[in-house]
Amino acid sequence: MNMEAKVIVTYAGQTGDLPMPVDYDASDADIRRWVTESLVTGSVTGIGAVPDADLTDFIVDRSEANTERAYPLILCRPKTAFG
Amino acid sequence: MSIETGVLLAWPHWEVIHWHLPQGRSSGYLPDSRDLWDVIWENRAKVWGFAHSHPGSGITGPSYEDLTTFAAVEAALGRRLYWPIITSDSEVFCKWKGPARLDYVTFRYDSLRKTNPAWLAELRRLSYDL
Repeated sequence: MNMEAKVIVTYAGQTGDLPMPVDYDASDADIRRWVTESLVTGSVTGIGAVPDADLTDFIVDRSEANTERAYPLILCRPKTAFG
Repeated sequence: MSIETGVLLAWPHWEVIHWHLPQGRSSGYLPDSRDLWDVIWENRAKVWGFAHSHPGSGITGPSYEDLTTFAAVEAALGRRLYWPIITSDSEVFCKWKGPARLDYVTFRYDSLRKTNPAWLAELRRLSYDL
């Protein structure tokens, strides 16, 4: 059975949710693509449209449901690795 | 022998917000860390930049991994930061110049050496005094 997850993204100094939940097991590439399309079209709740949104180096961070949160969560955030 | 270390700095006087010594860091790498992003985001109103160390001595420059992290963090914050990189005896600053996403310039900042802020000495101690 597929689980649906809430997606939260931080971009352009704002944080917002995707309007619809996504399959928790969707690929990172698909999630980045959906989030990018939502940012470009302005459909992320809490973030205005960002026509040039680019999530190339963003991490898809997954957290399963727990006792404090009844649903799985996917965070789309910038990577923080340094070489 | 050295180990990469980072420090998150605030403006206007480069106060230390957070020392970054994650598990898995090595002589040539600071791994991705959600904790670091959480600290940056929580302090977004005052964060000025993030300094980290590279192995060895002499003038260094950003790696491709560094550049792509600079660009991603700035895209999320919606503003630009300064990105100092140090070696055991030198330091440079990186700053976006544009127009392309990864067009960062590297420059020396001699007044930093003259003022010798405490965070710079501590970053060297944590990176090279092993």
